[in-house]
This record gives sequence, structure tokens and C-alpha cells, in this order.
Amino acid sequence: MTKENTIVPKVFYTQSDGIERVVEAEAGDSVMQTAVRNGVPGILGQCGGSLSCATCHVFLDERHADDFPPVGEDEDDMLDVAATDREDNSRLSCQLVLAPGQEVHVTIPETQL
Amino acid sequence: MTTTPGTEYPFAPVPPAEAVEHLGRIIADRPMTKMTMPYGGDVWLVHRNAAAREILSDRRFVREPFRTGERVVPFFVPFPDFLRGTLQFEDPPQHTKLRKLVQKAISPKRVREMRDSAVAFANELIDGMIGRGGVRDLVPEYSLALPIEMLSNLLGVPSSDREKFERWSSSTLAVAGKTEAEVAADMAELAAYMTGLIAERREEPRDDLLSALAHARDRDETLTDAEILPIAFILIVGGFDNTATFLSTGVLALLSNDEERARFAADPDGLAATAAEEVLRHGGFATGRPAGGGGGLVPFVATEDVVVDGQLIAKGEAVSIDPSAAGHDPAVVTEPARFDIGRPDNPHLTLSHGLHHCLGAPLARMELQVGLAELFKRVPGLRLAGEPVFSRDVLTQPMTSLPVTW
Repeated sequence: MTKENTIVPKVFYTQSDGIERVVEAEAGDSVMQTAVRNGVPGILGQCGGSLSCATCHVFLDERHADDFPPVGEDEDDMLDVAATDREDNSRLSCQLVLAPGQEVHVTIPETQL
Repeated sequence: MTTTPGTEYPFAPVPPAEAVEHLGRIIADRPMTKMTMPYGGDVWLVHRNAAAREILSDRRFVREPFRTGERVVPFFVPFPDFLRGTLQFEDPPQHTKLRKLVQKAISPKRVREMRDSAVAFANELIDGMIGRGGVRDLVPEYSLALPIEMLSNLLGVPSSDREKFERWSSSTLAVAGKTEAEVAADMAELAAYMTGLIAERREEPRDDLLSALAHARDRDETLTDAEILPIAFILIVGGFDNTATFLSTGVLALLSNDEERARFAADPDGLAATAAEEVLRHGGFATGRPAGGGGGLVPFVATEDVVVDGQLIAKGEAVSIDPSAAGHDPAVVTEPARFDIGRPDNPHLTLSHGLHHCLGAPLARMELQVGLAELFKRVPGLRLAGEPVFSRDVLTQPMTSLPVTW
């Protein structure tokens, strides 16, 4: 195992009011799961990651645009019906699965409901 | 199996503070309890919040044996047959297909667009109550009228048909008080009516849910009437009584807690979102009415042996979430016995979680927020004028009367 594989991923969550919180994650968890497990407000993830609630919407920092698989068809459909209007960098955070050592910056929209 | 004294489950109703303590002792003692239901036999009732979430996210727990009739649903009343044909008893991949189609039509965005009309209609209802004056019954005049209007609009039921639509709909949940033949006749009328409406919307689509479903395409498939009808039914079941009871319970809880009522009346819009979640978690307890333990959400069946939080759930066993305990689990809720309408994080499971979390959750939450906020804005001096009445005749055991004045 290389050194990088032993480093925990980190997620930097910025709330809509600008306050940032850094959370150490587990590789293989999604940005949504990491938020829910650590009590990060503003990410609900009601459907547990089955792409049927649109309550884990985030804006993914542009620098990570190529770090994850592109938006899938089902994710695309649900982003259209999120409570906060989607933007070019909108993602459902349940689809952002973290690799060892990965650092990700996301901004949480004003509302999920 | 011996039970540690003070951790018996089920347990008979006791004052709410005692019930919360009792649930806390059970949670400290074990993650779940096997209990024999009046119908359908044994089921594991899961008390701990984390264990409950784990089960709700695990696809090895399914509902197929209930849908096919191979197993009787373990529940406190006979589970109505027609509900076994609905979305909540489907598993992936059929569930995934239907759920996505419906969720798009009842999405956070759609519900946000409905909010202004909910505010306007709530105020119409309040105008009516103020105009009539004296002692008003909040349930029919407000708590039930609001969700019926919202759901009828969402489905696309014309206002001229609302009265019969409501009458048939109330039969869907009847477990007593009506004969089987009466219930069957009402259900058949409702089904025939909805089928007719679906046909109309196939011809001439409008901006409503039935039109969206009638014209929905999932890759190359379209939905048949046999698929759409149960979706309409499940929305009626959840969207009428359950939403109304949450709203009535919220009002009663606030009227039973002077400090929280004053706090809410001072900032209804600011507190509506957190207050709604706290009502879902703890509203029933906050009304001061005795609370017992024993029963849960619609169960699942384990498709293989699964160990959750140290407890083996054997292949073929049924398992259900105990939302009262999960919402009062000290591991995730600080001061669980306290009614705090500003509680920032509220991990209750009243609307479930995961694949089968409440389909109408965005709508129910919005109606609860709007219903509470508008009422206390307009009538801050609202007070009780009698005792609430609950019906045991229908599956959801709704509050049917709440006399208020001001």
C-alpha cells in the first residue's frame, strides 16, 4: 500500500453563510455519508443515497471537476428538481465517493427542502 | 430470554417523561426487541437510531414476501390489502423506477413552488375560522383541510369532485366503523374515479401529478394504470390523515407548552423549519398525553442472516423501526425528553430513511411549517377549548377533533 492509500480523505464543507468545516472521512464513503455521520448541517440525504430525494445537493469546487465520474442520467434528473436551483458545478453528494487521501471542497446550498 | 427490569417492551402508556426514560433504558440495554404483533407474528423492533439507519440502508432487507402474500405483515391491525400493492412494498429495481418518476413530481423544487399557494390557502381557512368565531374545531377546519387541498391540487382532482373524493379516500384507511362491503364499495368507486381521471390526463395533460405519471417515460417504458393507481392511493393515505395529525399534534404540543408557544409566536417564520422537525420527533410526547411503546414503521424481511449492532437477525425474520425510541436515543439527541422547537440537528426517523423514506416528505414538511407558522401569526392568542379526540377506526389513528378558541 502506498503512503497515499493510508491517508484519510478530507472534506471541506462551506455553508451558505461562508463558514467552513473540515471533516476527516473514510475512503469509500461519499461526501453525503461523511456529512450525515459527522452532523454537518445542510446535507440531509434522506434517501440514503438511492438517488430519489435530491436533499444532498452541493456545489463542487471547480478544481475537483475532473476528480469524480460525470453526472449520471438519474443524478441529472434529480438535480433538476432540487430545492436550490442547480448550477454548472451542482452534484448530489451521495455520488461523490472518496478515494484514500482525496481532499474535496464543496459548498452547501441555502436549502435542501 | 430475561428482560432487565425497567426495560420491558412493549410497555403500556405512562406519562411522557417516564416513557422517554423507559426508552432510554431499553436503548442502553439492547439495540432491538423481538415482539409478537397482534397480526403477522414476530418482528424485531429496532430502538437504536444508528442500528435503525443501518437497516434502512441495507438492501438485504426487503418487502417482497409481504407484497406477494407469502407473509402476513406483522402489525397491530390487519394491514389493508390494497396497500400491499403500493410503492412501499416494492423492492428495486421496480421500486427505483416508480419512485423516481413520482419523486420528480413531488420534489423539493415542486413543493417550494407550491408554498405560496399553501400560505394563501392556510390564510383563507384562518379567515373562515375567525369569521365564524366562538369555539372552532381545528382538525376539519384547518389541519385536514390544508393537506386535502394541497394533495388534490398536486394530483389534479377538480374542485367540484373534492367532496366525494374525500369520502372515498377516508374509507381507504378504515379498519373498523365501516363494514367490509362499505369499504370495498368506496375503494372501488375511488379506483374507478381515479382511473377515469388518469384517462382524461392521458388525452389532455395538465400541470399535475397524474398527468406527469400518465406521460412519464422511463427509458422506453410508460406507466400503466395498474402502476399509477397505487401511487395515487399511497399519496392519499399519507397525504391526508398523517399530515393532518402531525399538524394538529404540533398545534396541541405548542398549546401545551407555554414557553415554546411564546417562543414560536415571537418568530414563526424563523422557527417553522426546526419546529416542524421537533413536532415530528417529539410532538406526541409534548402534548402531555401518556405514551407507550410497542410498534413501528412498515416492516422488512431479512433475505439472509444479518448481524446489526451485535444482534443476529436471521434469514426470514421480520424487522421494523421503532421511531419513538429512535427519536429519543440519547446517543444522537441531547435531552431527548425536552420539547425544543429550535433544535438544530434532528435525526428523528418518523418519516423513515433510505429507499422507502416518506415519498411525500417534502410536501408534508412544507405543510407542517406553513400550517403552524400562519396559524400562530394570525391567531397568537390561540388556546384549547376542550379535549382532543382520536379515532381508533382507521389505520393511521388520526386526531379527529381539536376544539380551540382565542
